[in-house]
Amino acid sequence: MDTANSSVQGWRRYAAVAFIGVWLGVQLVVPLVQKLGVDPFALRYRYARYSWAMFSRPVPRFEVSIFRMRAGGDREPVPGIERYVRGYRSPAPMPMIAIYSSDAEVLDRFTRLVTTLARERHDGYAYVASIRWTANHPGGSESVEIRADATP
Amino acid sequence: MPRPRLGEPERFWSGWFDLVPAYRLAALRVILAVITLVFHVPKFNRIIADYAASSFHVPPAFPWLPIVSPAGSTALMIAQDAAAWGLLLGWAPQLCAWLLAMVGFYVMSLDPEFFAHNAHFHLTLLALIGCSADRVSLRRLLADDDAGARCPAWPERLIGIQLAIVFFYAAIDKILSPYWGVSGSSLAAQRLSTRGPAFDRLQRMSEAALPALARPLSVATILLEAFVAVAVLIRALRPIGLAVTALFVLYLEFMLKPGVFAWDVLAALLVFAPAGDRAWRVAYDPACRSCRGNRALLSPLDWLRRLRWTPMEDATSSTVRGELELVSPRGRMRSGFDALRALPIALPGPFLLALIVARSGGGFLAARGYGPWDDLPFLMLLVWLALWIPGLAPVLGQPVYTAISRAWDNWLTPARPGGDGDGSARCSHTRGIRVGDASA
Repeated sequence: MDTANSSVQGWRRYAAVAFIGVWLGVQLVVPLVQKLGVDPFALRYRYARYSWAMFSRPVPRFEVSIFRMRAGGDREPVPGIERYVRGYRSPAPMPMIAIYSSDAEVLDRFTRLVTTLARERHDGYAYVASIRWTANHPGGSESVEIRADATP
Repeated sequence: MPRPRLGEPERFWSGWFDLVPAYRLAALRVILAVITLVFHVPKFNRIIADYAASSFHVPPAFPWLPIVSPAGSTALMIAQDAAAWGLLLGWAPQLCAWLLAMVGFYVMSLDPEFFAHNAHFHLTLLALIGCSADRVSLRRLLADDDAGARCPAWPERLIGIQLAIVFFYAAIDKILSPYWGVSGSSLAAQRLSTRGPAFDRLQRMSEAALPALARPLSVATILLEAFVAVAVLIRALRPIGLAVTALFVLYLEFMLKPGVFAWDVLAALLVFAPAGDRAWRVAYDPACRSCRGNRALLSPLDWLRRLRWTPMEDATSSTVRGELELVSPRGRMRSGFDALRALPIALPGPFLLALIVARSGGGFLAARGYGPWDDLPFLMLLVWLALWIPGLAPVLGQPVYTAISRAWDNWLTPARPGGDGDGSARCSHTRGIRVGDASA
């Protein structure tokens, strides 16, 4: 270990300067772009990841039930749901939070899930994700049902 | 309570490539490693295991990002554990820190649900500590046999600026957010963490006050975050800024338990602490058993190299009695109980680590239904603050200190059959010395 009071010299200094510049640039620009978007003429605030937006909105909470049903039939559990997403259960509602996700991302996730289930099963059931917002939902319908038919 | 000197580093905006004491970054690295081991790695390893065990995934943030396979997930989990231990021990710490940061960002990019602001901040600090060239391993940090290790200043400058950026954008977000603003609606909707009986009344008072005070508290939070962002960068404001930051994040931790954020911020504040100056003097006599015991206990905790063990000749009567004696950088002498309660200020790294371990261990017990053990760090802080209540020292502090001191001395001096081990709290060489001090 060098204990002299000399400073960083040579290429290490250039590398450090470059790193500091890039680091500060990224740390200053990314949160701004995340919050306001990239178009300087259409800046619009949004709650976003990687933007240091701690606690600035109440946490949206929802319940989702994933099940399958035949036409006119009752809700039935989706067999092997745990294999698709560990920790999920069916058909009982699962309380969830969308702390860092938008409405669209929540809908997209469950749309993809029921579509995947239907595509892989081909059993004539309709695979359904029923979402019910329970707290701090920013707007729109309080309940959404997403269906995907598994054609035999 | 003594005012800690929080003005270091002396020249924040200049001297980025000067060499500064390496102990700040080394202490920060050790604390970050412990936070990583007790909070971050278990959480992220669980995420990786769950992800690998699931066949359904949403597309990752970047299309080119590879999906982790079951074999790859095992390798990632082992790598995280190994890197966290390497970071703690100081074995290839730069590599370990960057590995943890890269794996963490990779995992957060796999699924939006894996993102968390507190994990983002922790990974950011890991990346910055990965730039540190302190080369002070845990063993060397604990050895306290030198104070000459130096490293370039720029990583700790960046950590300071990073803190400012985080609080600046947190304030900006609250100004722009339609949920926060000045209405207080977001604050009023926050779910407060539950607390045990010791803090039950305080918690209920907070819950009752929050709806009524939501509007002023919303504005105050914005102002406070903006102030912190400015204060950590401006030398004149820094002492008050750092105190406000510490109180603010502890308040957040108490009210909301926001993961590792509070502890990461407190750890990051170490980059502003003085180090390597041996400014706290401790009276020491190699012939005094009690002094040797004190030194054996305190030296490994002196991560910032603040303690200087001065010869007995300079000592006062209390040292002769075997009591701990500290002289602060401002020249104020403290002995016995008064010195004991000042130790966390002289040794902030281990004190913070003790709180973090208490939080982690307490949280572990609380999660398993053994009671409100996650209140433990706040109880520890409360006890420490209570030691400074005027009038308490002679009533409670001094007797407790005497009992601790006696037990410590008895432990250092095992009773020998037929010997003169009388269990006294005196140094062996001081028997027969008459102390002429009225307080003796």
